[in-house]
Amino acid sequence: MVEKVKFKVFRYRPEDGGKGFYKEYEVPVKKGMTILDGLIYIKENIDPTLSVRYSCRMAICGSCGVRVNSLETLACHTQVLELKRRVIRVEPMRNYPLVKDLVTDMTPLFRKQKALMTWLIRQDNVEQENPTKQYLQSEEELERYLQFTYCIQCGLCYSACPVVSTFPDFYGPQPLMKAYRYYADSRDEGGEERVRLVDRFEGVWRCHFAGSCSAVCPKGVDPALAIQLLRRSALKG
Amino acid sequence: MLARGVSRSSVIQSLKVMLIPGRYGLERWSYVLQRVSGVVVSLYFIAHVLETGNFVGGITVWSVPDYSFAERAYEETVKLLKNPIFDAGLAVVGFLVALHTINGIRLVLAHFGFSLGRPRRPEPFSPPPSFSSKQRALFWLSISLAVFALLYTLDSLMKVFRP
Ligand code: HEM
Ligand code: SF4
Ligand code: FES
Repeated sequence: MVEKVKFKVFRYRPEDGGKGFYKEYEVPVKKGMTILDGLIYIKENIDPTLSVRYSCRMAICGSCGVRVNSLETLACHTQVLELKRRVIRVEPMRNYPLVKDLVTDMTPLFRKQKALMTWLIRQDNVEQENPTKQYLQSEEELERYLQFTYCIQCGLCYSACPVVSTFPDFYGPQPLMKAYRYYADSRDEGGEERVRLVDRFEGVWRCHFAGSCSAVCPKGVDPALAIQLLRRSALKG
Repeated sequence: MLARGVSRSSVIQSLKVMLIPGRYGLERWSYVLQRVSGVVVSLYFIAHVLETGNFVGGITVWSVPDYSFAERAYEETVKLLKNPIFDAGLAVVGFLVALHTINGIRLVLAHFGFSLGRPRRPEPFSPPPSFSSKQRALFWLSISLAVFALLYTLDSLMKVFRP
């Protein structure tokens, strides 16, 4: 059965300047169709000027983050009929510079991750580049950070965070969560350096535990938990 | 007033994000309530000190006024405040203080990494470990005590629940 659903899509053209506007499209929807399918339908059949970013269409690449009816979600992971609405509002994520329509510039997220050195740090760089053995790890050691490795860097949590909205210098949920992911990894030797990086006003101390990051994460990562655990480590010194 | 590079619309946007919990769930409600209650209780505290300070001569407190002055100031203040609007306002302050304290303790525990779940493999439809049942219970406890404080204040000031 095909139903008509109205997509109210945010449009923004940088060359026009200004604030952007909403444009409505009628989309025929079948069971199983996602928001992304709807947007692609609009692009192919109604308005080819609509810009939307996507790649995998299966909630793996993290490209298609948008706000649907005021809640951050992956467009490819949200079924239209499950929303049970006649009108669906699709907007770009918050807290990022806007490129065009639904496409945001993810640079702030990646810049902050880099500032927090979210990669494996080993004291012996020579060995790290030319490993002679495996870095072994027990099941328990794995469980300490495994949850945080499920992150696909979609940046939805960063868009949902009210602290980033009101204080853009805050590192934000995803970069801080990633810092904890390495801090808690028994193979990592970043230790004190990692704590020093987040032990500042723009770091863990700014989190107010509004939990919106964990509420919207499509991968069940729970950045809010990681930040509190990281703050605990910073308190221990 | 506004800092350089801060436009009026971004201030309004920030206020909206701060004050409207939207569809983000309980923890976001807690964030909004903790802020609002913190600010309101701070304002109340200032007003309260100014008001009670009047009995001893307000800003001229260092030269202690005589007793009759204090008595008159007290009578006047009591008369001014003895009306249903101030009573209702005080009930709201009671609500916010109870909420802020218990929810504040919940937040302190969370910020120290206590009462949260442990990291675990994500499972569909199960809440994030940081939204633990202990945390949720403390939140609802703060709401319950706040409602109790509201009703209790209304009852003692306005005798609403007495025959
Ligand atoms: C037992 C008493 C209290 C406790 C346990 C408590 C705890 C807290 C906590 C945990 C926060 C939130 C910090 C965060 O968001 O990360 C907070 C915020 C705040 N509190 Fe209190 N507080 C108490 C009493 C007071 C009093 C008496 C006042 C004012 C006179 C006050 C004013 C504020 C203000 C203005 C905020 C700011 C809200 C924010 O930053 O989100 N608090 N309090
Ligand atoms: S923590 Fe979740 S919401 Fe945030 S970037 Fe990673 S997958 Fe996306
Ligand atoms: S298109 Fe890859 S996550 Fe949605």
